[in-house]
Amino acid sequence: MPRLAVSPSSKPNCSLIGLICIFLTLSATHTHARIAVTIPEQVSLLASMNTQQLSISWLGGEATTFDLIILRTEFNETVFYGTVSVTVNQESGRHEWNWTSAEPLECTSLSVRIRSRDGQMTSDWSDTQILQGSDVPSNKDTQIYPQDRIVPVGSNTTFCCIVAEREVFGSIQYRSTVMSATRLSRRTYAATVVNQGPSRASGTNVLCFTDRSSSLSGAVVFVGYPPQLSDFVCETHDLTSTVCQWNNGRDTSLYGKRRTRYLVNNRDCTNNSLLQQQTECSVPQWEGNWTLVAVNSLGQYSLTDSAELSHRVCPVAPVELSSVVHAWNATVQWQWKYSSYSSLALVCQVEFTAGGYKTKRTFTGVGLRSAVLSDLHPVEDYSVQVRCGAQQNFWKWGTWSKPISFKTKTDVPDAPDVWMWRNRDGTGQVIWKPLTQRQSHGQITGYSVTFWNPEENRQHTVILSQYTIAVPFNLTQMAYLSGDNKVIASVTAKNADGMSPPASVSLRLPDVELPAASRAVYTDEGFPLSWQSNANATCSFVVEWHETSCTYDCPVDWIKVPAGNTNVSIESANFQPGVRYSFSLYSCPSDSPELLQRWQGYTEELVPSGSVRLSSSQQGSDILLTWRSMPMVDSRGFLLGYNVYISNGSQLTLLANLSDLETSYTVKGFSMGSYKFTVKAYTSAGEETGTTVIIAMESYSDWLILEILTSLGILSLLLVIATFICYKKRKWVKKAFYPDIPEPKLPSDWSSAQGPLDVKPSPHSMVHIVEKPEWDSSKEMLVVIPEEDEDDDGQGIGDEPVDTDEPTSLRYYNQVVDERPIRPRFPDSSTSSASSLDSAHTDVTYTGIQTSGSSLVFQLDPQGSSEGHQPQAAHSVSCRGGGYQPQMQPRAPSDDMGLASAEPLLEAQAACSGGYKPQSSWHFDSPMEAEERGSLAPSLGSPTSIASTQFLLPDGEEHGEEKRQSSSAATWFTNLLSSTKP
Amino acid sequence: MAEQEEQPITQPDPPGSGQSRTGRAVSIARLLHRECTRLLQLYKEKETFLSDHTPDGGRIVSLSSESEASSAEEQVQCLHSALRQCLGLLHCVILKEEEEWGKLEGDYETMRKNVRTRLEHLLHTTKDLVETEEMILEVTPDHQCNEEVDGAGGLFGLKMWTYRVLLELIHWSDHAAQTLHVLHREREGTEEI
Repeated sequence: MPRLAVSPSSKPNCSLIGLICIFLTLSATHTHARIAVTIPEQVSLLASMNTQQLSISWLGGEATTFDLIILRTEFNETVFYGTVSVTVNQESGRHEWNWTSAEPLECTSLSVRIRSRDGQMTSDWSDTQILQGSDVPSNKDTQIYPQDRIVPVGSNTTFCCIVAEREVFGSIQYRSTVMSATRLSRRTYAATVVNQGPSRASGTNVLCFTDRSSSLSGAVVFVGYPPQLSDFVCETHDLTSTVCQWNNGRDTSLYGKRRTRYLVNNRDCTNNSLLQQQTECSVPQWEGNWTLVAVNSLGQYSLTDSAELSHRVCPVAPVELSSVVHAWNATVQWQWKYSSYSSLALVCQVEFTAGGYKTKRTFTGVGLRSAVLSDLHPVEDYSVQVRCGAQQNFWKWGTWSKPISFKTKTDVPDAPDVWMWRNRDGTGQVIWKPLTQRQSHGQITGYSVTFWNPEENRQHTVILSQYTIAVPFNLTQMAYLSGDNKVIASVTAKNADGMSPPASVSLRLPDVELPAASRAVYTDEGFPLSWQSNANATCSFVVEWHETSCTYDCPVDWIKVPAGNTNVSIESANFQPGVRYSFSLYSCPSDSPELLQRWQGYTEELVPSGSVRLSSSQQGSDILLTWRSMPMVDSRGFLLGYNVYISNGSQLTLLANLSDLETSYTVKGFSMGSYKFTVKAYTSAGEETGTTVIIAMESYSDWLILEILTSLGILSLLLVIATFICYKKRKWVKKAFYPDIPEPKLPSDWSSAQGPLDVKPSPHSMVHIVEKPEWDSSKEMLVVIPEEDEDDDGQGIGDEPVDTDEPTSLRYYNQVVDERPIRPRFPDSSTSSASSLDSAHTDVTYTGIQTSGSSLVFQLDPQGSSEGHQPQAAHSVSCRGGGYQPQMQPRAPSDDMGLASAEPLLEAQAACSGGYKPQSSWHFDSPMEAEERGSLAPSLGSPTSIASTQFLLPDGEEHGEEKRQSSSAATWFTNLLSSTKP
Repeated sequence: MAEQEEQPITQPDPPGSGQSRTGRAVSIARLLHRECTRLLQLYKEKETFLSDHTPDGGRIVSLSSESEASSAEEQVQCLHSALRQCLGLLHCVILKEEEEWGKLEGDYETMRKNVRTRLEHLLHTTKDLVETEEMILEVTPDHQCNEEVDGAGGLFGLKMWTYRVLLELIHWSDHAAQTLHVLHREREGTEEI
């Protein structure tokens, strides 16, 4: 509120005037406000149920701003409240404002009130205007809204269900989905479906269920797309009218009444067919510019096109096709539906199909109505159809005519494709490929083959049936025809129209030496073969192939290659994997075929089907595996090598990979036992199952024994030879190794020798018995027995040096002597011995003192003996007898030391028991002496029973037996040598 | 329910064929009944909400003189009249469905066409059986199809009405099989068809 400035003292009149002015101004303003905020009157509601739009109009005076409130009448719930600016409709003079409801307007009654607003000033509300809903009590049945609504895909729709009186709301279902519902009024419930998908032709069902099971109310909603077209183009068929076509694009999901309608240049082109979506429309004349409008309930789409008629000519299909047929050509004729085509320059395609192959040929001409098809094949079924286009300003091909069929006439056959097969023995076959239907030009009635010699011009003709494809020949039997083994074979085929041109091939003996075959690798296009060609060569080539394993009258196939070509790919349906094929390139097949090159190859290499024939043999500790190379039929691929395995249970261990195709293998270093070997051949596809051989290794010690026996045999033989030689040279041997014993030489101080003295006693010497006081109590006595000269080299003396030139030493025998005297060898000695036994002294009797020498008496020094033979003393430690220990032959350390050590132990044990052990080295020097001494000998080597003078040790004692054996062998050799004695 | 084997639509057999005319009529009626049952099954597969729904309300087609008919021939004449109305209803269903949904070529539409043809065939058969000089029977559909299908209105109402028409076809085709069997028994003196 403006504040007034009053100055009463200075200008009272002016102040009064000012107040009046202010009052008037305020009064005018207030009057203007009262005019602007008049209450709206004559509020009117106009509902559009389909769009759910409520049109509200009223008389609002001068005001332009209004407050509107819309409520659901029953529940007095505010649906809309807002201030809107509305201008007066000049025609009706009323304010109008439209409001779109989220729910169908039928769902429930709506109350509308309006008031004018001028800034902060508002008028009073107008009278309430009610839009009656369908839930009024007068509509008692269940209802659901909206009905038959068409909405775009992805939109949201709110459905409401008005429940019948005295029924209870159940649920709202969209398709089969129960929706969440809200209550709008006493009987009305609403649910909103969001992002709806396209519906089927009969729409999407929305159902409302109540507590009454038989009551079923529903609505149908159609969810689809607006039209969206493309490729709109117009053309003419009859050179007068227009046919426009387009592409409908995506399915609108709207059918029947709701389908898209089309207008071309504002003419309804919609056809009455409800079956398919329309894509074409005809206009009776050529307008040059066209606009297509497609409309459905959700929107519209328009496309345009423009063109001159001559640029859009698409001829109709030719009609009434006919043909005039010959063997190698035919004429096709047709008619046009429109006479206007007679002046139209046309280009036509004639497509004829024969044997599954289609061929197109093009013809041109004004008003074209026929075409001549040349280069056809006789006796061939053809199917022909024609289509045309405008030759000038070609637009597109017209529609194909209905096809017609005809069959060409017959003619003489083509020349057969001839080749040959030659065996090594001069025989062979002339072979030709059966003529195909396309080559025979009619039914073949037979073949004729003519063999002729170009030089002598002699020929021989064979007539064959139509089923024959080969005729044998024998060049060796055709000698009368040809001196140089060159024969020309000509083959002709015959049908009803006549004979074919002849096809020739030259027959010769096959080449003796074949060129080496190189390897051909199969590819997807067959076996690619290439060769070097002479630039001047004018001959064609033939490449023949057959299975390599076949050698006689083989089924051969071939292909002819024109001259100048240097490569070809060979493919055949007869090729089998795992079969080796040989390819041979011949030049000049009809004149003088010459084998130029050979190949071999597989379409696919397989693992070998057979197995190697495996054998094994033992070679000492080695095993030799040998096998035969695999036949080609079984190898099924180029053999790359062999794998040798040894089997350990169920597992194979690779021993060797023999990539050089060796057929033997030696496995070394095996001991006794059973071994299993497997040999597998392999190709690039893998290895075959293999052959297994089991070998049991025999003990090769037998071989060792055999070798030993052989060595022993050889040694024996050498010994025999040596013996023989010795026998023959026995005098020399006697002289060299067994010279006559010289007479002993006794130096003057011989008795002062410190060591044991070997004395060669004379067989007839007697030994004096020397008393030895220490042994008196034990009644034991040491007896020295004279010994014949022997070859014992003094082993019993130990390591002390021995003069081998001296006679052999005396030997001592420890002997327990009873009261009775030892039986004397001679009566003289027995007397002395008996006398000595009778005394209490221990006597030692030496016998056999050499007659040439005096009898020698020694006082034996056991102590000295024990010193000289320490090992024996060691063995006698455990002895308690304290008797004499026999002397042992000292041995140098050797392999048989163990054996040598046991013997003294046994002897020591014998000594422990106080028993007697005879010296083993006792023997006669010669058989003669043995014979001479007779019964004396045993008594010398064995203890003698006191009572019976029998030997205490049995003869069968093992040790004594061995001694005797060795003694016998030595005796034999001694005898041998002794035989040389004079 | 196992799908019924579709049988070809044939014209009435010439006189002298093995089966009697009444027996043939019974067979056609029974076949029509099976096809109507199959048609309803296909319709329920399209409109699944009908699978568990049994509409209330009486018959669409009813005959006032049915109970008064005494002889089998008269009952067949009444049946013929009911079948004409059924054919009219089926024509109307086809017309309205094609108008609303378009010309479709599914199993339901194929079977619907078969039922229409079979029903026409049965009408010709019954006409031949019971038509007299005094009683001229028509075989054209007895329904104009120009009235509202049901009070509910809307396309949902069309679906409900179609459902009722299909139920009506089942009812009257079954009734036709029974009525014609009575006529067959009277004329042929045997139960066998």
